[in-house]
Amino acid sequence: MFADSGVAGTVGRALLLVGIVGSLFGAIAAISSARTREAAVTKLISRFAILNAVAAVGAFASMEYAMITRDFSLAYVQKVGSTATPALYNFAAVWSALEGSLLMWVLILAGYTVAVSFWLRKKMDDVLTNWAMGVMFIVSLFFFLLSFGPANPFVVGAAGVVDGPGPNPLLQNHLLVMFHPPMLYLGYVGMTVPFAFAIAALVTGRVGEGWLLATRRWTLFAWGFLTIGIILGGWWSYEVLGWSGVWAWDPVENASLLPWITATAYIHSVLVQERRGMLRVWNLSLLVSTFSLTILGTFLTRSGVLNSVHAFSESAIGPWLLSFFAIIVVVSVGLIGWRGDRLHSPGSIDSALSREGAFLANNVLFAVFAFVVLLGTVFPLVVEALQSRTIVVGEPFFDQLVIPIGIAMLTLMAIAPVLPWRKASGELLSQRLFWPAWCGIGALALSVFVGATGFAPLLAFGLGGFATGSALRQVVLATRRQGWRGLVGRANGGMIVHVGVIMISVALAASNSFTHSQELSLVVGKPATFSGHTFELIDVVQITTDRDISVKALVSVDGGKPYAPAITKFTKIGMNVGTPSVRTGFGSDIYLTLEPPVRQDSNEARIKVFIKPLILWLWIGSGLMAVGTVLAAFPGKRRKPTDPTSALIDSHEVSR
Amino acid sequence: MNAAFNVKSRWSWLVMLLIATGLLLVGGMRDTGPLTQQDRIDLITKHLACPTCQGESVYVSRAPSAEAIRSEVARQVAASVRTNDEIIGYIEQRFGGQVLLVPRSTGLEVLVWALPVVALVCAVAALAFSFRRWRTVSGGEISQEDARLVADALNNQDDRP
Repeated sequence: MFADSGVAGTVGRALLLVGIVGSLFGAIAAISSARTREAAVTKLISRFAILNAVAAVGAFASMEYAMITRDFSLAYVQKVGSTATPALYNFAAVWSALEGSLLMWVLILAGYTVAVSFWLRKKMDDVLTNWAMGVMFIVSLFFFLLSFGPANPFVVGAAGVVDGPGPNPLLQNHLLVMFHPPMLYLGYVGMTVPFAFAIAALVTGRVGEGWLLATRRWTLFAWGFLTIGIILGGWWSYEVLGWSGVWAWDPVENASLLPWITATAYIHSVLVQERRGMLRVWNLSLLVSTFSLTILGTFLTRSGVLNSVHAFSESAIGPWLLSFFAIIVVVSVGLIGWRGDRLHSPGSIDSALSREGAFLANNVLFAVFAFVVLLGTVFPLVVEALQSRTIVVGEPFFDQLVIPIGIAMLTLMAIAPVLPWRKASGELLSQRLFWPAWCGIGALALSVFVGATGFAPLLAFGLGGFATGSALRQVVLATRRQGWRGLVGRANGGMIVHVGVIMISVALAASNSFTHSQELSLVVGKPATFSGHTFELIDVVQITTDRDISVKALVSVDGGKPYAPAITKFTKIGMNVGTPSVRTGFGSDIYLTLEPPVRQDSNEARIKVFIKPLILWLWIGSGLMAVGTVLAAFPGKRRKPTDPTSALIDSHEVSR
Repeated sequence: MNAAFNVKSRWSWLVMLLIATGLLLVGGMRDTGPLTQQDRIDLITKHLACPTCQGESVYVSRAPSAEAIRSEVARQVAASVRTNDEIIGYIEQRFGGQVLLVPRSTGLEVLVWALPVVALVCAVAALAFSFRRWRTVSGGEISQEDARLVADALNNQDDRP
């Protein structure tokens, strides 16, 4: 083993250096190609992108090699590696702490850079493309520098270490750690692409709609991965953390949600710009916000600033990320100000009651939503900085503010899809909303019938039904006209995403409002009942491995097969981790946790039972969102490219 | 025909509105059913912050400090002397000021409640202002190139499938 000592470290460090040089020269080549228009220089851009990608893949592979071979000469492997970690979790251990996560960021960013350069290989002589590549390289340079400098995973550690603690037990407890971080990063880092094009558009002054059309699939792609990443995080929380919830509004979660909110706002408002030529400044601002929020979120969660305002300057990467964030904001705002004259939108709006009016209302809601989440996340810092005392802003605050926003969004989702562009009449609305509204009444009646209580959840269910009706109306009409093509394209795929979002909203409303829980002291052979279910302890077993000692309570629910909530003691780290066990159902989940202390030979166990309604629909809705996103990415029925949106409206269109 | 539709649709919307209001009132006002002791503990611990975690509630956290508060809350609930708010007040006194998860509505904390409302008002006002501007200034100068594009498009409209 010691024969390998240092090889991965040396190679990794060298490759990070190659990446730094590659991005630097890539940026120089891209920008000078934009200025000099020399074909020889232009050719270099793609080559540097490939060099970058090779360096990043190589560095990441070196880290994996070091982790797999347990190369304890590296400080990072000493921190998160262990001979006892099972192979899969050991593979994922690379991204289980700061330095490795940033290395994955570098890898994905280099991947995006080379993918964009390949996609634009025939347009490399375009100035806009050059500038966009230039921005990508500059962002890459920053992350390569961060990874080589203050967050270097290849730093040599203390001599003589032959084993480590392994990753945080929570990160070697469920397969989702393999997928949640990479998906999230594909989304997070993917937002660099539209940002790069936005900056390029501002620099070149080509602020019309061309660059938007070019990048919309990239934005959708990144948004899709961000969505999946966030949802997988919720799923992981549900399956691993043992408090039976999916979302706790903690700062790390909020950091991933913030760019998602602004990106979602953008995906909607960009349609107004495409159709009506309006909102240029606003859309640019949303893209810049999305990208800068990924950096700000990383700063907030990785610099230690949330522990204490003063901790960030002690952490090595805090000042780097904060400075980079400041540069992005200053440069972007400066560019938007500089191009103010060209950004004046030529379009105008006819009526608030129109598709574009609904998109604007959507953007107001999303902007306020983002503001609330950002405020709640940073407010403790403000109080600490001003008054040197600590406060916590948590779930009840977010719930109180986000529930009304969510209800307003559902209302909008019910009405907006049937609105025509330009102007809608009351009669038209009454006609188009008729059946969707009855769907809403049906959903409301059903919820009251099955015993739901409370205004907020009932409103959510009723509006959910209404919005589903509106979304399905669009899909049904489109498939009736165009067959299977009525399922693809942005409008139709988007409606399928809406149905997914509605399922998630309904599932969250139900599980947050109607979860019941009870602690049961079970003795073998004496069943207990709660909420109409019987729970019988069959046995308490203990399993010992190299890594841990796990105690499981085998509990039969309603006389069926046994579920096994467990408490696992990770022997090297000395930490106890509970693992819930869930019986999943379409109506409700039965979520079991084993409560400490447990003794294996006592024939007794205390378990906590949560009855959680409709949770399964959260995952079904998420799947539907993913399917809808893919469908939305396929080109729909082609509008003729020059279809004049400002021409008179077809009378058939109005009466439909 | 049109007028008949209008009257008919107006009536059916009114019926729908009445049904919806009725259902909301029935469902919204009725009793939520008995809370188990555990439900009460969950409700209270959702409002308390785990002292050693980052923004997690006692309900969410599995840390020992959260465990300690949870069992204290359980004791108080089992004794069923204090109300939920009194238990929260008691825990706050015993474990120090940081354990409250919901910001107060006094002092600097007022801002965290007020600013979202201010943001909403500003956003709506900005939107209303933009609407007025959009409706008074209809478009900008049309360049010759734009005019040509539109004319071309209108001419080609006939060969639509």
